[in-house]
Amino acid sequence: MAREPLATFDCHLDKLDEVFEFLKRTRNELRTLRMVRVWTDRLQVFDINGDFFEVRGIGYPDDAIKTVLDAVHTAFKPESIHNAFRGPYKEFKTGKRRPWAEDRVM
Amino acid sequence: MNMATVSEENSMNTANERDPYNNNSYGTLVDDGYKKVSLPVLDVTDFNERIIRAYEAGTAEKGLPADLSVSRSLIPAGTATLRDFSYVAPEIPEFITDNCTGCMDCVTLCPDTAILGKVVGEEAFEQRLAKIENEADRELFRRQWAEPNKYYQGPKKKTGEGGKFSIIIDPSKCKGCAECVTVCDDDALRMIPKTDELMTDLQKVHRIFKEFGPSDERYISDRLLIDMMLKEKTHIYVGGAGSCAGCGEGTALRMMCSATGAKYDNDWGIIAATGCNTVYTSTYPYNPYLVPWSNSLFENAPAYAMGLRMRWDQRGWGEKPIWCIGGDGAMFDIGFQSLSRMLASGLNVKVLVLDTQVYSNTGGQASTSTFMGQNTKMSVHGKKYGGKMERRKEIAQIAMMHPRTYVAQTTCAHVNHFYRCMIEALEFDGPALVCCFTTCQPEHGVADNMATDQAQLAADTRAFPLLVYDPRKGDTIRERLSLQGNPAVNEDWWTNPKTGEVVDFIDFCRSEGRFSKHFDRDGNPSELLLLATQDRLENWKQLQELAGILDKKKPAAKAPKPAAVKPAKSAGNGKSAGLPGGFAVGSKIKYDGGSGWVQGVLQSVDPIVLALADDSRIEISQDILREAIAMGIVSLD
Repeated sequence: MAREPLATFDCHLDKLDEVFEFLKRTRNELRTLRMVRVWTDRLQVFDINGDFFEVRGIGYPDDAIKTVLDAVHTAFKPESIHNAFRGPYKEFKTGKRRPWAEDRVM
Repeated sequence: MNMATVSEENSMNTANERDPYNNNSYGTLVDDGYKKVSLPVLDVTDFNERIIRAYEAGTAEKGLPADLSVSRSLIPAGTATLRDFSYVAPEIPEFITDNCTGCMDCVTLCPDTAILGKVVGEEAFEQRLAKIENEADRELFRRQWAEPNKYYQGPKKKTGEGGKFSIIIDPSKCKGCAECVTVCDDDALRMIPKTDELMTDLQKVHRIFKEFGPSDERYISDRLLIDMMLKEKTHIYVGGAGSCAGCGEGTALRMMCSATGAKYDNDWGIIAATGCNTVYTSTYPYNPYLVPWSNSLFENAPAYAMGLRMRWDQRGWGEKPIWCIGGDGAMFDIGFQSLSRMLASGLNVKVLVLDTQVYSNTGGQASTSTFMGQNTKMSVHGKKYGGKMERRKEIAQIAMMHPRTYVAQTTCAHVNHFYRCMIEALEFDGPALVCCFTTCQPEHGVADNMATDQAQLAADTRAFPLLVYDPRKGDTIRERLSLQGNPAVNEDWWTNPKTGEVVDFIDFCRSEGRFSKHFDRDGNPSELLLLATQDRLENWKQLQELAGILDKKKPAAKAPKPAAVKPAKSAGNGKSAGLPGGFAVGSKIKYDGGSGWVQGVLQSVDPIVLALADDSRIEISQDILREAIAMGIVSLD
């Protein structure tokens, strides 16, 4: 698993659009997303090869983290995402996708 | 009758322009020719040379006459090995030998028989390697071999000779799902883009691998079930099936075939109920099975298997197993009567249910196996109905109530559990049903690499509990039923030690697209999903009760709800009559809602109010308090 991020971004909490723009712009450098690790002060988005991006300046204590996690299809509990945690980071999977023809009515 | 072999000229089983290194050839770990069998109804060589060739060339539909060979839709065994999927994915796994521990997870959990493992003693390895004339090819092949502790260092210390271990990607069978990369805990696999040069190297290496001879059985422990696929005879499912990339069903079928092949070689048969499994394993003219296989209708596979069982028994073939396979649509719904009839017959037929909780083949309609709240094509989430409104039917519990029937629920993520269920079912002298949770990526709304992760989560969240019901274990249900393999068997829910959080059905739903409409913008689950969670808990508690884990005097269905926190109405009058011993107003208590003990005090008894140190209050009835005490959720501090 890669030790250094492929790309980093310093996030300002009042400019979340820039985070989304960063993730969108750099997305094709990663393969299928596998998981995220959220620290108190940063977020890492991993692909199946273990390559990752890092967004600095935002962590699980921040309200805005929910929006960012949603943007990469993270399965997390919103009611406890901000809770303190004894480990260095929280880890969540990102395997959710849209079902095939989910809005098709038979 | 002449059958195609690897040495036969102009055979589909030899190298040709489209397949220059003959990767699409019979034999999985080692080259193999067609068996010289006499089939009065089909000329196998003609099938390979004329019919398959026409399909490969794209001329079959208009070019092939509707003669007896074509019109009867018979397919010889293993023809899917001639199929090439190398064009379907842009990426393919790369093996990083230094990191490999020889765990065999990738080999076992590949849905397409596209990762093959081999272990060879180092002396034989060097001898075989020396036979490769081209030096560049020899070095290319040498670099594919690892020396993991499991096969190399360990045996070397004991016997003086270590085993070299390799996994090889079959470039013609890999669909690029990346399941292997996901299940590898050792960073020994990564996805890389396909290039012409890379594909040529992979084709060469795979060709040499098949000519390199079989694994050295000295390094294969029969006690390590996961090593099973190092033996050629376990590869009854050769790959080349038309299943989706990452299909969970494909892995279940492969593992079932391996467990059966390990004991019975190819001397057994399959009756398949119509469904996804029959579509992708009999996409004419490709058949991935090396055992006799037949399909009749959606609704009658168990009845068909009964007839075959009686005929085989009549011929003195009582020792040959028959697997009857079908999805939840076939076994829970349309063929349920037939299944029940077969189980009641006592006949020696084994049933494998590929439980995707949806009719996968026809585009994702609800079955009785579908979870409450699931969004399917026949239970679409809308304003009035939030997906499927009914509760899930439990085929395992129903099957258990049939006379002397072996029953199991398992998943491919629990490899040992799965193999043990297969072996026990085969050893059981009577009907057996093994229900296996499998993903259907497009219908569940999960990524192609998620089959194992989701199957694990299904068990962890009580969505799909593991169980084994073996009538040989005793006279009572509690003796026969084992919930071993589930996390936190004595608890309602499992607490993930990594996060310290309770993992429940809601968490399973959060991870799959089929439930996504049940969450609002803030991520709060719908009321229906809370009911579905209660349904899963009640099912789990029923199993706990049947297995003798719960005190049978306690009401099973009225389990304490997950930590419903309400503001206390009043302090009550201080009476403690009817409370469990030691509990009274002012008693110091502790409460574990799944994330560790929290201290508190019993503030009131009418109603029961627990005031906790984290400033929350829990208001519950006395019955629920008793239940919570029995479950170890609340106790005196």
